[in-house]
Formats: sequence, C-alpha cells, structure tokens
Amino acid sequence: MRAALGQLAVIVGISLAAAAGTYWIKGAPARVLRCDPSRLKPGELCLQQVPLDGPVLWVDARLRKEWQANGLPGSVLWNLDGAEDTQAMEAEAALRIVDAPRVIVYCGDENCGLSHQVAEKIRALQLAEDVSVLHGGWRALREAGLIKDSNRTP
Amino acid sequence: MRVLNPLLIIWLVLAVGLQAAKLEFKDQLKEVNAPADVTTVTTDFEFTNPSDKPVTIAKSDPGCSCLKVEISGGKLRYSPGESGVIRATFDMGNFSGTVDKMIALWLDDDAPEKPSMSLTVRVHIPILVGLEPKTVKWEIGGSREPQTIKVRMAGEKPISVKTVSSSSADFSCELKTVVAGKEYEITVTPREMNSPGMAVIRIETDCELVKHRTQQAFGVVRKPTPAAAAAKP
Repeated sequence: MRAALGQLAVIVGISLAAAAGTYWIKGAPARVLRCDPSRLKPGELCLQQVPLDGPVLWVDARLRKEWQANGLPGSVLWNLDGAEDTQAMEAEAALRIVDAPRVIVYCGDENCGLSHQVAEKIRALQLAEDVSVLHGGWRALREAGLIKDSNRTP
Repeated sequence: MRVLNPLLIIWLVLAVGLQAAKLEFKDQLKEVNAPADVTTVTTDFEFTNPSDKPVTIAKSDPGCSCLKVEISGGKLRYSPGESGVIRATFDMGNFSGTVDKMIALWLDDDAPEKPSMSLTVRVHIPILVGLEPKTVKWEIGGSREPQTIKVRMAGEKPISVKTVSSSSADFSCELKTVVAGKEYEITVTPREMNSPGMAVIRIETDCELVKHRTQQAFGVVRKPTPAAAAAKP
C-alpha cells in the first residue's frame, strides 16, 4: 500500500510539474472567445467575417442600461425587454434599419439567444435584406477592442 | 500488479470526482399557451441531483428583465438525490406570437463565459390584431402603385379599427372595412418616388386589452436592393 501511495505521489508530482511547465511556457489558459465559421448556427457570423469599414448597422439587443453604458458606437437599440415602449423602440430602430445595406444584431455573449429573436423580428418586418447575428455578441466586440465603456448613449 | 490495483482504484475514484456533476431536469423546454388577457405566466422546472456529490447553482441569468427566476425558496446547494424547482415568471409586457426565453445556469465552478445548462420557456401569446404585411415597400423611381395591408382580428369579440395615421406626409393611408369588427384593409400610397422615405403607420383599435390596442406598420421608399437590381435585365 505504501508503494502504491508512493507511485501515486510520483504521478501527481510529474503531472503538477508538467502543468507548471506549460503555464510557465505558454501562460495562463486562454479564455478568449474563439469563432469557427464552420460551426456557426444559421444566420450567425464571426466578427472576423465582418468588414469593419463597410456600411453595417449594429443592433444592440441587450437591456437599455447596458446599451447606454457600453454599446457599440453608432449602434441602435432593439431588445425584447417588456419594460420598453416596444412600438416606439421599433419605430426608432426601423428608421435607421431601412437605410442600412447590412444589419448585424448582437447581445451579451455566445450564450445569449436574444439576438436571434431580434434578428427574426427584423427579418419578419422585411425592413432589411441582410440581417445576421454576431457570434459571441458584445463580448466578441469588446475582445476586438471595439467597445469603450462610457456613460453616454452610443 | 498487486501493487497497481489499489493505485488504479485510487485513480478511478479521483477521476470520477473530477467529473462535473449536473442537475437532471424533467424538461429543459417548457411550452405555455398564455391567454391574451394575462399579464404574467409562471412555469416550474423540476430537477434532481442524480450525481453522488453535492451540486451548487452558482448563478442563473434569465437574459431579460421580463423574466424572473426563483430557485426553491433561495436554496442553491443540492445533496445527491435531492430535488428542487426553478420557477420562471414571464412578464408578458407587449409580447405577442411565440416568444422563447432562455435561462442560463452556472453550476459549481462553471467558467463565467460557459454556463453548463440552459432552460427555455416558450410562450405562445395570441395575436389579436394581425397585420399582413407589416411593411409595404417601393423602389425609388418605380411605380406609385398603392399597396394594401390586411388587418385581421383573431379574438372572439369583434375589434374595430378606429383610426389610421401616417407619421409622414409623404405617405397617404386609406382605411376600408371589409367585415366590421373582423377584417379591414389599409391602402398605402407614397406621394414621392424620387427620394427615400419612410412612414410609421399607426393603427388604433378599440381592443379591450391595452397592449393590443395600437399596432404599427411601415411604409418605405428606398433604393433598389442589390438582389432586386441584379434580377433586372
């Protein structure tokens, strides 16, 4: 039994040394969002597929207070929050959307399903021809350095 | 080999302990048919901890201020075999049609960006005043042909359209009653076809339920889309 425990200690020791070596050489585990175009859901795209200098209207599907705090500059708010005056918000967003050749909706991160629902509403209204959802949402925009926290409406 | 047997057992015990435990839900998707006149809908997700170690619900996120989540009176840690209930209360607000709301659940040491479970509340809300289409469109330089929006009432009680108005003087709207209290038509005509324009068309009804009372549609004159332009000879 003592021999077994000795062997276990050796295995654990080697594992810890290997982990420490990996950490020292490669650094801490990467927690950045990765987007693989081949694994996207229908209607989604990766940020690297978006020409950032092209004419894109960004639609923020998060809560108003989040959009106001750190929404993408130039974006328009369209969420499904019951506290909103839905018709006023839709009308305001529609005025911008009809002039946009390309509309991309984002919400919080890759776990947020709101952007798909908002995109579906925009498609159902037939206000825009090209409506997509950004995989990774606001988190992808922030990691790309496109978000600057502020207290002003985007 | 005799020495390795206890080692193997210890390793297996450790390996099992390293596996993330999950909660087992009877249903991860709950569908609710909501009457048009209710303001909130409540549904329960029942779960059990089938693993052999305690599971803690570290965080839940409904992703919408319209959804309230309560977990078994605030109890977050569940021993093996223990059961609980997650109650979702959906505030119907101005929603209509089919609405999906997701609740993300983080268990134990889930990474902040990766909840290990998600629950969906699907609510079917009657559309009492239906518009088809919701947007009428023209292309710049095209024909000023009027277009029609059909208004159909789906409730048992009749609902009448009281007024129709356009937010822009560049679009005229004309209301026609097809079947009083049941079916109407709104004819929309743009006055100007040489430049882009847009109008929000407001339809006021006498629906008893305030949230269904006012509807809106859109009238748009815009540049030909690339797809439409490509389709032309």
